[in-house]
Amino acid sequence: MSVNQEASRWEPKIIAFCCHWCAYAGADLAGLNRLSYPANVRIIRVPCSGRVNPQFVLRAFQRGADGVLVAG
Amino acid sequence: MKRVGVFVCHCGTNIASVVDVKRVAEAARSFPGVVFATDYQYMCSDPGQELIRKTIKEQRLNRVVVASCTPRLHEPTFRKTLESAGLNPYLLEMANIREQCAWVHAKDKEGATIKAIELVRVAVAKACLNAPLKPSTIPITKRALVIGAGIAGMQAALDIADAGYEVVLLDREPTIGGNMVKLDKTFPTLDCSA
Amino acid sequence: MVAAAQHPQIQVITYAEVEQVAGYVGNFQVTIRKKARMVDATKCTGCGTCWEKCPTKVDSEFDLGLGKRKAIYIPFPQAVPAVPVIDKEHCRQFTKGKCGVCQKVCPTKAIDYEQQDEVVTESFGAIVVATGYELFPWEQVYGEYGYGRYPDVITGMHFERMNSASGPTGGKIVRPSDGKEPKTVVFIKCVGSRDEAKGKSYCSRACCMYTAKHAHQVLEKIPGAQAIVFYMDVRTPGKAYEEFYSRTVHEGAVYVRGRVSRIYQEGDKLIVCGEDTLLGRQVTVAADLVVLATAMVPSRGWEELAKMLGLATDKDGFFQEAHPKLRPVETYTAGVFIAGACQGPKDIPDTVAQASGAAVKVCQLLSKDEMATDPMISTVDENLCSGCGLCQPVCPYKAIDMKTITERVAGKTVARRVASVNMGLCQGCGSCTVVCRSGALNLRGFTNEQILAEVDAACL
Repeated sequence: MSVNQEASRWEPKIIAFCCHWCAYAGADLAGLNRLSYPANVRIIRVPCSGRVNPQFVLRAFQRGADGVLVAG
Repeated sequence: MKRVGVFVCHCGTNIASVVDVKRVAEAARSFPGVVFATDYQYMCSDPGQELIRKTIKEQRLNRVVVASCTPRLHEPTFRKTLESAGLNPYLLEMANIREQCAWVHAKDKEGATIKAIELVRVAVAKACLNAPLKPSTIPITKRALVIGAGIAGMQAALDIADAGYEVVLLDREPTIGGNMVKLDKTFPTLDCSA
Repeated sequence: MVAAAQHPQIQVITYAEVEQVAGYVGNFQVTIRKKARMVDATKCTGCGTCWEKCPTKVDSEFDLGLGKRKAIYIPFPQAVPAVPVIDKEHCRQFTKGKCGVCQKVCPTKAIDYEQQDEVVTESFGAIVVATGYELFPWEQVYGEYGYGRYPDVITGMHFERMNSASGPTGGKIVRPSDGKEPKTVVFIKCVGSRDEAKGKSYCSRACCMYTAKHAHQVLEKIPGAQAIVFYMDVRTPGKAYEEFYSRTVHEGAVYVRGRVSRIYQEGDKLIVCGEDTLLGRQVTVAADLVVLATAMVPSRGWEELAKMLGLATDKDGFFQEAHPKLRPVETYTAGVFIAGACQGPKDIPDTVAQASGAAVKVCQLLSKDEMATDPMISTVDENLCSGCGLCQPVCPYKAIDMKTITERVAGKTVARRVASVNMGLCQGCGSCTVVCRSGALNLRGFTNEQILAEVDAACL
């Protein structure tokens, strides 16, 4: 099977809603430990994962996000 | 009218060695509401904060975005900076371009720079909607209740009382002491428990 | 104990329970029910005449049934306060309506059979929860140890009472069945702990050390005695702990790695069958006394208290700290702190350290005259609020109340219910905003509009 060059370079855009107290702190910790991950994640800080209205998730998809992560 | 100022921090080489900070500041100038953008070596340092204060006055800024380390570290610092410049501290927004960008994308400088620009764009978009907030105060009754008068409750009650506060030490049993007074000698020193 | 009772700043209230907690950090209103002791504490001198003369004897709860107490009693001789209580379930004055001996002999006329419970409401700025533990009810599940049928299979706490100089046996280790001194004592560790099938999954932490102490006490107090310890692992992480365990082993305690599969009575011996997993063979011991190291579980009533204070608990009912490493004595309810075994099984050094930690947090709070609240909290737009009340049960901090407002509509005054956020209680998590169908609730600093603007900017 031939691999489409365009397709292999395609990077999904991921929006991550991270709880300030845990997942966001975890993302900071990843930096502190110099772990490495792809640059296509955009973290939006929320005070609690309970703050994430389904509407936010839908809006992200509506505006072209390929994946949404809610972490808390 | 929103007048946003963007301050991009190098954090020495922590950010600047990966993210092209000049490009980030340059890009920030084109975002809606942004009237000023610059970069500086250490934004949290005294001269860095002075730069923010000076610019707030000169450019009549009413929103500030600092792109630097995590807000978990320096949000309180920069809120104070805003306050000392006569701005409501809650008009600050931060873009985390160190822990969540430079440090985790060290091998992808182009990707990191693009991400930093987008993180600043996100912070600017939020900052435009920030409203001045005022903490309110609530009074404090200077008395403590300790529920349970075992070793934990007694120790806590004594420490609080020794600091000069009134304590009510409550237990449902007819005596204080809890499980601890049932014990004979206690490890590792084998002294008595009463 | 005496230090706490005599401290001028400490008011000790015993035989009392918390009935209701209202308010928030800095301003709690706590309703306390002081149960009727039937003894006027202001008159009683603790002379002891009443309990000496009381004709009714019952098993002592304090001594776990190893000793007796009277129907009017103090739990143990050094009890604080030394004011007795009447046990209405057993007192003849209450069960049969006649006796009155204690009232007749009391020199200060302190006995009052008509005394009622007293309910008071007091204000506090901070609360420390230190409700401790009780022992896992092993009798209900451990059939292999006899379901509590054999009087000489006891818990570590029974053993402690026997060892106590002021305990029911005056400090002598004896068999509860016949009062004889045991020569072979078997200890079984992890009874109810580290046992997902019958008990709790957690390690109860203090048992390895107290079992080592018990084995040491057997060898010290009973000449020629044998102490055999069945264990799963020996865990001694603590200053001078490993040394203490080694000492017990050197003194002659025999540690057998394995579980006990069955205990049964044969004559006056308890036959303990187990496995030595290190040698890979069956072990049978004819023991005189078996001591179980039963797990610590949260003290009864934890559920009611958790509800009253809005505390989270783990799966086993231990109160949850705000952060396992960085906020070990704080809870999710501001102004409420936890200390000791109510947070998780722990030994005395850890308990004392945690209690002092909680005390500092309380002092931090009380040292201020007023405290600033974080302005990033939920707000209600009363024009939009439909008063549905969906937000109320969602709030983990019980910060939302419903209130009635009146307004003029078309020339008439109408009253309607709307949500109201308590600034002292709201921690700004924003859960309420998500369930609010009318969009009346919003979180300052993280408004719907702000987060949507962020999403839009991130997806450009």
